[in-house]
Amino acid sequence: MVGSAWRRTRSLLAGAICGFITVTGCGDRTTESRPDTLVAAIESDPGQLNPAITTSGGVHTVADLLYNGLVGLDEHQRPVPELARSWTVDEDGRLYRFHLQTGVRWHDGRPFTAADVVYSFNEVLLNFHARTRASLRAVLLSVDAVDDSTVEFHFRQPYSPFLQQLNVVEAPILPRHLYAGRDPQTSRHNIAPVGTGPFRFVSYAPDAEIRYARNPNYFGGPPAIAAVIFRVIPDPTAQVLALEAGQVDWLFGVPAAQQKRLRGNPRVRMRQTTIGSGGTNCMVTLAFNLDRAAFTDVRIRRAIAHAIDRNAILERIQFGSGRVPLAPISSRIPLATAPGLQLPVYDTALSARLLEQAGWPRGQVLDLKLLPSFRAYAELIRAQLRAVGIDARLQLLEQAVFVHDVFDRRDFDMAMISYCNGTDPQIGVRRQYVSSSIGAVPFSNAAGYRNAEMDSLFDVAGRLVEPADRQRTYLHIQQLAVRDLPYIWLLESEATQAHLVRCAGFAFGAHFAATARCR
Amino acid sequence: MMRYLVRRLLLVPLTVMAIVTISFIMIHAAPGDPVLALAGEHGDRAYYEFMRERFGFDDPLPTRFVTYASRVLRGDFGNSYVQGRSAAALIAERVPATLLLTASALVLGALVSIPLGLWTARRAGGRWDGFVNFFALTLYSMPLFWVGQMAVVVFAARMGWLPVEGIATAGSDATGIHRVTDLLQHLALPAVVLASHEIAVLTRLVRSGVAQELGRDHVRMARASGLSERVILLRHALPRPMLTVVTVVGTRIGQLFAGALVVEIVFGWPGMGRLLLSALQARDAPILLAFFFLVSCSVVIANLVADVIYAAIDPRIRYG
Repeated sequence: MVGSAWRRTRSLLAGAICGFITVTGCGDRTTESRPDTLVAAIESDPGQLNPAITTSGGVHTVADLLYNGLVGLDEHQRPVPELARSWTVDEDGRLYRFHLQTGVRWHDGRPFTAADVVYSFNEVLLNFHARTRASLRAVLLSVDAVDDSTVEFHFRQPYSPFLQQLNVVEAPILPRHLYAGRDPQTSRHNIAPVGTGPFRFVSYAPDAEIRYARNPNYFGGPPAIAAVIFRVIPDPTAQVLALEAGQVDWLFGVPAAQQKRLRGNPRVRMRQTTIGSGGTNCMVTLAFNLDRAAFTDVRIRRAIAHAIDRNAILERIQFGSGRVPLAPISSRIPLATAPGLQLPVYDTALSARLLEQAGWPRGQVLDLKLLPSFRAYAELIRAQLRAVGIDARLQLLEQAVFVHDVFDRRDFDMAMISYCNGTDPQIGVRRQYVSSSIGAVPFSNAAGYRNAEMDSLFDVAGRLVEPADRQRTYLHIQQLAVRDLPYIWLLESEATQAHLVRCAGFAFGAHFAATARCR
Repeated sequence: MMRYLVRRLLLVPLTVMAIVTISFIMIHAAPGDPVLALAGEHGDRAYYEFMRERFGFDDPLPTRFVTYASRVLRGDFGNSYVQGRSAAALIAERVPATLLLTASALVLGALVSIPLGLWTARRAGGRWDGFVNFFALTLYSMPLFWVGQMAVVVFAARMGWLPVEGIATAGSDATGIHRVTDLLQHLALPAVVLASHEIAVLTRLVRSGVAQELGRDHVRMARASGLSERVILLRHALPRPMLTVVTVVGTRIGQLFAGALVVEIVFGWPGMGRLLLSALQARDAPILLAFFFLVSCSVVIANLVADVIYAAIDPRIRYG
């Protein structure tokens, strides 16, 4: 009796397992079964798809394919025509006039006009897009539609970085006929968007996948692939496994530790880039709190800089991905090219001498605050500082607490921060050095660096029009920064993107899939 | 019994209100700002002031609490600061996936642990009992995150039996039985991983309870009267340990949700856990408070249900 009961249970269990394996063993889950579709992995659900009301990289990574800016930025970050087919800048740089493409239609079939541009800037971008608001609101006088295909931007003063601020990441243009008169933050079109971009919206399954289809009427020519699917895969390791299993085609980033393994995979190609929807040309930086007595003497800051082996950081933490900075501003910004600067080199003997001269009190412990993503950097730096007699206590904080401690309360000795320099120093670098941006604003002047000459130089550089004049000014700015060392510039970071070889032809930047082909 | 039930039901809103009030105070006392999630690293002072005023962050905390509480009483949990959509709707979109995952794990846990516990109880002190005990302890000691990643590496990436991530195949438009099959394929690994801790805990509970019962007089009596081993096990040895199992399952609902958060991240499962995590990082109070409201209601009600089942399966228990 008992035996037969157990036998029954066993056969039931065996049947269930067999049935399950039969069920699960079938079906092709690889992307090769849909040759004209690109499947891209993203780390988090964007929440909404309106890129004009946020600078969040999560939103822009996904939503930018649906929209356009007045201009695009090419691989070298130079402005190229997009919704504007041409433009003129008046002699003193106070007036920008854009001639728009004709015949462009929104995905719902309505025509795109200059009124859409005026609405997007006046009602949305200058209020809700933090970066555009911060850089333009004080200098922009008005945005006017001269006619349906001409827009003028009038500035209070000559403003040279403007063309770098008009791509889809900085200034996406929204359809006025769907947004006007409604709150752009709560519009239903934020999750059922209508744009002018190379792909049009199809469906959005929260935290699962977002689907786009090719825009056959795209003014730049329809994309080669028929569809893009964004899959939300929060764990970076799972993303890599999904790529290897052929279940996704494209990764926006590969963790440094996994790159070596992927390099050995003949089905995968990788490429490096400094351009990202969340930030471009980013620099990992160690900030000194100059309000702390420990750092009032520049010799201490210089000694710490000499104690840090930046090449070791590049090789051991980033496995060679990135660059050791030769100047305070990213080398990817041509305007900021600064040859001949002497950044402190790794020299522990010199470091020890400087500490002794400055009377560094042995046993003093410095608080180094950081986000968990910089843990490996900080552990290596702590070991390097210990070698010259400086003790650092690491404090790993989640972003909200980090911002509160470093920028609101200024309660730290040193902090590790990634400053994305952007494509023009006025947009991404100024905030890091001018005294007016010290205080309760995240990712501003963390060091608390105050130098009237520096403030004035940034004001001058923003008004200059001639590139050669601007370059000279930024060189001067960088000389001052190297002399005063409010920061140590540790690494120009790069993202490693990866894709299956069945897909190729990806562009750099926000419209990465517009030129892609999959087979 | 009825009086007891009414008394317990009356306590539900009070408990939930207390949890929501404490959560409200804790969320707003924590450093950080949802504006940061919108601004990224480039907002200026004017932007922060504009957004804070828009969201009403400048009002005193008691005023904000009164506004919030009066809205909640009308069933309105407010809009997410970051996503601009109704917090209740955002959570509701993700409830089915989380319920499917947790319910599957719970059912799987019971289906595996009860027979396994009975089987090992009959072999108490033997080789197989030791092995299962060791296996259960090992499973329980391993973090779910690691178990999940190993499961993905072995069963999805290496063997290719199951999908690596998600709730459905990318771009799948399958309907009917194909859709169900696709869903089962995607559910299999996350459900098994989430169930692993339940299996470990419940197997040991059933095993020790039943083994103890098997040595008691009433079981010896049943055996002496010639009842079959199956009847002895199921009718005489199992019921009393099941009381403990039901109680433990009731108290583990909260842990199950916490485990689901981890599993959802590893497997890209579109449930509430990931929404909660992003809301926590962004200090998106409307989502967090709506979530706490929902979870506290679930836990309080689950405990109530456990107590009722307890009374139903144990005739000695009478609530008055």
